[in-house]
Amino acid sequence: MALQTSNSPRGISLASFGQSVARRREMLGDIAMPRNSGLRRTDSKIALLAAIENVGGSW
Amino acid sequence: MSPYRPEFIAALELFAIVSEVVEQRGFLRPVLVGGAAVELYSASDIATGDFDLVTARQDIFEQALQANGFVKPSGPGKLTRGWIHPELKLGFEVVGSVLMDGRAERDRVKLIDTSAGDQFAVIAVEDLIADRMGQYASGSAPDMLGQAQVLFSLYQGEDSSYLDRRIREETDTKYGIADLQ
Repeated sequence: MALQTSNSPRGISLASFGQSVARRREMLGDIAMPRNSGLRRTDSKIALLAAIENVGGSW
Repeated sequence: MSPYRPEFIAALELFAIVSEVVEQRGFLRPVLVGGAAVELYSASDIATGDFDLVTARQDIFEQALQANGFVKPSGPGKLTRGWIHPELKLGFEVVGSVLMDGRAERDRVKLIDTSAGDQFAVIAVEDLIADRMGQYASGSAPDMLGQAQVLFSLYQGEDSSYLDRRIREETDTKYGIADLQ
């Protein structure tokens, strides 16, 4: 049984959070985030990605 | 101006809508983990349209997905636990019921509000870095070290003590914060 919650506190807005990330990136200069190699994908994940591709997903 | 792609924002807004359903039923919000969390914290275009979530109430979460246009892929070779949204062309998958098997401190989960007033939860950056290091330490995901290092460089000054402890926990004490520098 999952824990019950009380009313959630408000968080940071997505817009503000995005701006803070953009500032961090700007301070750091060029960064290159490696993409996942995909070597650890489960069968379920492989099937899900194929299904997304089949409906035209182009991330 | 947002550093995120419009598709990514749309996915997060949808995740927040579905998360509200779980919360309104009296349970903890699902937590965004994995590559989409990395994209959120770094504004790097690394997500592939699939969003990994952790929730103890997969049943309620998936009911909410269905109510919001998600379908279960069907047909030969489609044995996935995930759900796709055919119009938004993305997928959500519940990958666990307890955040990092209970080793992550739930209070550190970050709550983010969308412009529509909904809210979603994302794993703390320290736990995300530790997760990447744990995968790296397993030997099967060398690319994860690079992700952990970039996240660390972006978020230096966060809770170093907690980060170091979590990395050691996820890597069987093989690595610590010094390995990110």
